[in-house]
Amino acid sequence: MDAFRISNLVKKYGSVVAVDDLSLAVPSGSMFGFLGPNGSGKSTTIGCLTGLLDPTAGAIEILGQPFDTNSIGLKRRMGVMPETLGLFEPLYAHEFLAFVGRMFGLDEATTRTRVSELLQALELTDSSKTLAEYSTGMRKRVAFAAAVIHSPEILFLDEPFESIDPAGVALMKQWLRRFTAQGRTVFITSHVLETVERLCDAVAIITRPGKLVWQGDISVLARDGAIAFDGQEFRALEPLFLHLTGQRYADLNWL
Amino acid sequence: MNFELVGHLIRLRYKLLWARTRSRNGRIALFIVGYLIFVLVLVLLGAGGLGAALVAVESGKALLVARIVLASLFLEMMLATVIMGFGLNAMFSDAELRRYPVGAIDRRVTRHLVALIDPFWFLGFALEAGLVLGLYLLGAGFLGVGLIAVVLLFVTNYLAARVFGVLVDRMMQQKIGSLLLMAAIFLVALGAGQVPLLLKRDPAAAAQAVRFLRFTPPFGAAAAITRSGFEAASGVVVVLCWLVALAAALVALERRPAQRQKLPTTAISFDSFYDRVGARFGGEDGPLVAHWLRFYTRNTRFRTLGLLSLPILGFLAYTMGRPHGPFGKLHGPFDSLFVAALGVFPLVGFLAPARFTVNQFGYVGGGFRRYFLLPTDAAAALRTGNYASILTGASMIVLAAIAWTVLAPGPWDGRMLFMLMASGIAGLFLFHGLGLWTSILGPRRGNYNQALGNDASVAGNVVLIGGAFGCVLAPHFLARFAPAWVSPDRWWIAAIPVALTLLFYVFSLRAASALFRQRHEQLMAVVEGRG
Repeated sequence: MDAFRISNLVKKYGSVVAVDDLSLAVPSGSMFGFLGPNGSGKSTTIGCLTGLLDPTAGAIEILGQPFDTNSIGLKRRMGVMPETLGLFEPLYAHEFLAFVGRMFGLDEATTRTRVSELLQALELTDSSKTLAEYSTGMRKRVAFAAAVIHSPEILFLDEPFESIDPAGVALMKQWLRRFTAQGRTVFITSHVLETVERLCDAVAIITRPGKLVWQGDISVLARDGAIAFDGQEFRALEPLFLHLTGQRYADLNWL
Repeated sequence: MNFELVGHLIRLRYKLLWARTRSRNGRIALFIVGYLIFVLVLVLLGAGGLGAALVAVESGKALLVARIVLASLFLEMMLATVIMGFGLNAMFSDAELRRYPVGAIDRRVTRHLVALIDPFWFLGFALEAGLVLGLYLLGAGFLGVGLIAVVLLFVTNYLAARVFGVLVDRMMQQKIGSLLLMAAIFLVALGAGQVPLLLKRDPAAAAQAVRFLRFTPPFGAAAAITRSGFEAASGVVVVLCWLVALAAALVALERRPAQRQKLPTTAISFDSFYDRVGARFGGEDGPLVAHWLRFYTRNTRFRTLGLLSLPILGFLAYTMGRPHGPFGKLHGPFDSLFVAALGVFPLVGFLAPARFTVNQFGYVGGGFRRYFLLPTDAAAALRTGNYASILTGASMIVLAAIAWTVLAPGPWDGRMLFMLMASGIAGLFLFHGLGLWTSILGPRRGNYNQALGNDASVAGNVVLIGGAFGCVLAPHFLARFAPAWVSPDRWWIAAIPVALTLLFYVFSLRAASALFRQRHEQLMAVVEGRG
């Protein structure tokens, strides 16, 4: 069964096409990487998938049900860590997480327990600082905690590991692996291809403007295998990505 | 000084301003603002400055008129800069300028030049220059020294506004800052009221005051414009001394970083007052109401205005409600203070949260996205923010009603209290209804931590300023032209505006919610600084 399926998704901002006829199916229980160069439409696609943006055309089906911005029941089953984190900066971390927990229907006692546990695990116990006073990495941890607090079935993470220290990243990876081992789905965008290669089972690569150029299983790379494409063999994700998105050379002799 | 780099940075400020005109709305705004400023400069230069000069010459009191015009302008510019943020909003921060290879002095000069070369300040300069030109053309002033004096006065005025603004800002960051500010406003307000009485009792005090005021920048500039020889030179020296002193004070203040209140480490608590209030709104809206209440009440400006609104509006009611005051003639048989209070009560519930109510999402930044990721109707964020604002406003109306009962002179009259409460509630619904529309149709990205200045959009300002003037003045004219509306004998009429504004509010709540869902992507772009 697919965790979600996108059919012919189009998103335009005026005359600018951000996502062009994108179709994608992500199987349940997978750790799925969504890759593309800057401005290729990754965040826009996640925006459409999570109810942040209204698609111009196309259909989205999540957990077997049609999804749009008003699909409140489905939103309750999803966890999202958006690109801009979506934090309310004057709040303290525990206030923010308790707010998110209550909005996702957790009862008061469960919310308190989970907030305390998440803060402890993610080392966010300094209660004298508001979110505005946190470092970028700490803010990212709070956004991650907000995405998982209600134990969702699908997790959408936009650049989750950027700015987080190695110990934090290791912890998050451990949680994500356990998450998918339970049959739940993780959809990640990242520019750190090594991380994606080690973490994900499958990836989709898009180019500007939001056009799918490759989708496939990459677990073979972890077993020292190779991916055959275009008559070439790729033993790592980076050369495949560069091949698909166009390698750029610019010789600046003053640099 | 690296003049080339400073010049580049000043040009950058105008390039950024110009960049805003790339959108259609930006071009329209630029056209209107540019046109208004051009017209205002001409009006101030011609009718204002030259007119004042004509009056000065005709009355034979050139020095006195110049002193009054320059002193009023000096104070107006200072207050407008601090309250409305003109010029200051345009400044780059020191941290922003640190990205470029410019030294500390260059950064300081750049920041203040950018703020000084703001169209608002040109308006003041146009009036001052108009006065000099007018007096010169009519043979009562000196052009060269006069122009030097007003240029120095112009810079001194800016520096005084900056020093005053920084002092008020620092004060508001302190725990008891709001209380101190309230005390200062009281003292100034009461002091100003006592001046005419004092002068009446002791006419010699006026001459003494003038002798003292000669050493202030506007009086110094007035002497430089209208006098010659030693008097003119000493006037220029007075302004110059102030300029140097204020520049030194500003540098000293800016070198001492603001001491922010350090919050103590506290145990994590989940059961707050906000959550308990929010819980009254049910499971779906409750957490959002609690969130908005927290968001508003944690803001320095909200708290300061919350503290100041009752004394300020009380003073306004007292000033406008004097039987022998400018509006007293309109009141006929009615209690003047009551009529004035009818106009002030609608503002009681709106003053503190006004900035948020007319631009609800302008201060949430990236947090705006969160509302669309939550498993609830996205428009709930709009509605609950408005409810939270109404809650804070309603509590202020209750406090105002208590203050009226305790402090108002004369016998207690339940009908008057009913009318005042009705006036307050009608204002609450009217302003919050309008705030829903301006939040969606005229959003503007603001800085949550900015304590001073006006960062509302044009639409927000129309509601804020237009609404405030409308409310304050309406009862005085009603007393004259439709007395039934302010008569305690027909107290029940006060329920009509409440019913009408409630209808408007309910309609706005529904219609604006639908519009919010439609326009949320444009709103997101604005509040995240992309539109």
